[in-house]
Amino acid sequence: MVLRARGLTRRYGRDSGLVRAVDEVDLDVPAGQALAIMGPSGCGKSTLLHLLGGLQRPTGGQVWLADRRIDTMSEWASARLRRDSLGFVFQSFHLMDELTAMENVELAALLAGQPPRRARQRALHLLERVGLADRAAHLPSALSGGQRQRVAIARALCNEPLVVLADEPTGNLDSAATLDVLRLFEELHTAGQTLVVVTHDPRIAAVADRVISMRDGAFADDRQVVGAATGTVYGRRR
Amino acid sequence: MAGRLLFICQLLVRDLRRRRTETVLLLVAITAATATLTLGLTLNEIADRPYQQTRTATAGPDVIVTPRTTGQAALDELAARTTAAGVTDHSGPFPIAYLTMTAHGRSAHAVVEGRDDAPVSIDRPAVTDGTWVRPGGVVVERAFADALGIRTGDTVSIDGHPLRVTGTAVTAARATYPYAGWHYSGSVLVERGGLVWVDRSDIATLAGSQSLSYTLNLKLADPAASATYPVGDQLTTWQAIDRLNGRLYSDAQMTLLVGSWLLSGLALAGVAGIVAGRIIGQRRRVGLLKAVGAGPAMIAAIHLAEYLVIGLAAAATGLVTGWFAAPVLIRPSAGLIGSVNAQPPALRTVIAATALALTIAVAATLVPVVRAAATSTIHALADAATPPRRRRWRIWLSRRLPTALLIGVRINARRPRRARLVTVNTLITTTALVAVLIVNTQAVHFDLGYTALANPRVERGEQATLVLTVVVCVLALVNAVVSTWTAVLDARQPLAVARTLGATPGQAGVGLALAQLLPAVPGVAVGIPAGIGLVAFVSIGEVQYPPGSWLLATALGVLLAVAALTAVPAMVATRRPVVDTLRSAPT
Repeated sequence: MVLRARGLTRRYGRDSGLVRAVDEVDLDVPAGQALAIMGPSGCGKSTLLHLLGGLQRPTGGQVWLADRRIDTMSEWASARLRRDSLGFVFQSFHLMDELTAMENVELAALLAGQPPRRARQRALHLLERVGLADRAAHLPSALSGGQRQRVAIARALCNEPLVVLADEPTGNLDSAATLDVLRLFEELHTAGQTLVVVTHDPRIAAVADRVISMRDGAFADDRQVVGAATGTVYGRRR
Repeated sequence: MAGRLLFICQLLVRDLRRRRTETVLLLVAITAATATLTLGLTLNEIADRPYQQTRTATAGPDVIVTPRTTGQAALDELAARTTAAGVTDHSGPFPIAYLTMTAHGRSAHAVVEGRDDAPVSIDRPAVTDGTWVRPGGVVVERAFADALGIRTGDTVSIDGHPLRVTGTAVTAARATYPYAGWHYSGSVLVERGGLVWVDRSDIATLAGSQSLSYTLNLKLADPAASATYPVGDQLTTWQAIDRLNGRLYSDAQMTLLVGSWLLSGLALAGVAGIVAGRIIGQRRRVGLLKAVGAGPAMIAAIHLAEYLVIGLAAAATGLVTGWFAAPVLIRPSAGLIGSVNAQPPALRTVIAATALALTIAVAATLVPVVRAAATSTIHALADAATPPRRRRWRIWLSRRLPTALLIGVRINARRPRRARLVTVNTLITTTALVAVLIVNTQAVHFDLGYTALANPRVERGEQATLVLTVVVCVLALVNAVVSTWTAVLDARQPLAVARTLGATPGQAGVGLALAQLLPAVPGVAVGIPAGIGLVAFVSIGEVQYPPGSWLLATALGVLLAVAALTAVPAMVATRRPVVDTLRSAPT
């Protein structure tokens, strides 16, 4: 298992104000799996993603990434883990406004200590992979929402992470841009990239080979999808 | 019109109440500059008024003649003066001797003047404690007594003769200690010394073998005409004495006036930093006001009114602070009488302080206020922050740097104006500190006046320097913390993103601190020659420079202080959970 959680819990408040955002969740994600976590707003799916990525500390339970327990790691070790083994994609992209698409992508590699030249080559390769090589020198303000999200995905892939964690990656996108991102996820999945995607969008579930439904911080349903990633659910390829 | 004014006032009061900390910081920054300027400008009045009051109270002379000759020759020379044209009255000649007085184990030059018990028409020293002269006793000029720690009833020794101090007094016929005009007989080099009065019958004994000099006080029909008299070692006028008393404050005054320029610069940088942060916070309100019909002029008026009110309040606070602090800080000579704060500050002081405060307020706010007024309504309503600037070469350069430096350089590249304010802040601080260092290094080449007593002029200069240093440091500290905190708020989102990409909290915190430290380096580098140049510019004599190691230590000290001041808020900022920042700062 590349990602494993046992009794994972995150609570806020106390007494009558106690909220169980994530309530004793057990999860195993094998390498290469595309996992979609779905559920209504406030069910705890984003919190679960943050716990799995070490952005938040659980109040209970354990998380392992590639057999390394991460919930007890120091901030420094968590940062190193995120740098080397995890890639994040957010609903609102979180690109640096003053950096070009290329510079945004290479930032992850630079923070990981890669030489500037190699970071630039890697960024260019990834922008080609997400179909934005011709937009490498553009600032985020000159890109469409879908293009921005593809840049964010390229950035998440920059350090060849074990797992890509995506939080509502199509939440801010129109239909056309959503299809672009879905195609990209499908390609990643086909290439063997482990994906954990939190989403409202049922179309994303179509590219996943496993879908978990959450309610009130717990898993309500966990099902394998047969024949996923065929590309038939979300329309024709251009 | 009335409705608009009422609306502006309502918003003004609410803003001032809602942002109390920022309002207080603005007030402190501008007040520091205006108070120092008031102090500097007030010293003239403080020195001048008591002398005039003393002159009136003691029937001060217009012209004082002390010939170089001694004995009968001096008396003959002075006799002709009493009948000169324009002279209406005189007192003296009084015998004087230039001797040494010892009290409490400390010695100082003393101009000993022989007086009679009976009062005279011109120059009747006002006894401030004890009684007037009598045989075997001595009356000590009050500032001189203060310097030596003498009180009525003490026993002092003049050239080995013990005398009992019968009282202390003040006069307008000689400048106060240390400018009483002591010199070796026949010499024109005046040394530091004080004035004492003894009974006329005692002075010959005290002088011993030294032949007596004589001094004559003249009253003119037109006191102002004395200004035309040639002042020298044999003759002085009441105007010259007034100026001489003013020398006590001249160093302090120069320090405070130059300091007020530097503090104005610091205040400007500080206010600009605070205002920039406030305007960002008020962006949405600008949009709302525009949406309901307020024009750019109205928007500008609303914001400017707030800073003008703060500026006026700071001017008033600075005036009051400076006016009341001046006598406490500078201590007008004890050798004069009268209350120094009996009258309000001079109009020119009020105008200067108010103009300075308003200039700082308007100069620091005009650009962001005009920019806010010109912002498009939709953009302002969206509460979108001004997009960070792209500095291509800095981004290119930072790619080759370690992570913390990369973060620091890129934070500065986003907001170059804030980085420039940091540079200005450290430039002025270093300039001030280097100037203070040089002033303290000055060796007194010709300290005429052998005595262990401190020079009151130097003392006052040092006190003014100390006050200036403290105020500069406090203001620089406030500016550094405000600047860092503004940077923290602005860089929250990019730092949070960097942390999701693997930057550690330590790297993010150090990056933030470096963002403040990097622009401080050129400020410190330029501040050292600027401090040297400032002292060279305002100094009259030769400037003695401190060793290079001292300057280097000052530069490193400033940089270390900036690093320490910025590290704390930077580290606090990086403790905030990344997730919270990412949720609250959509891109």
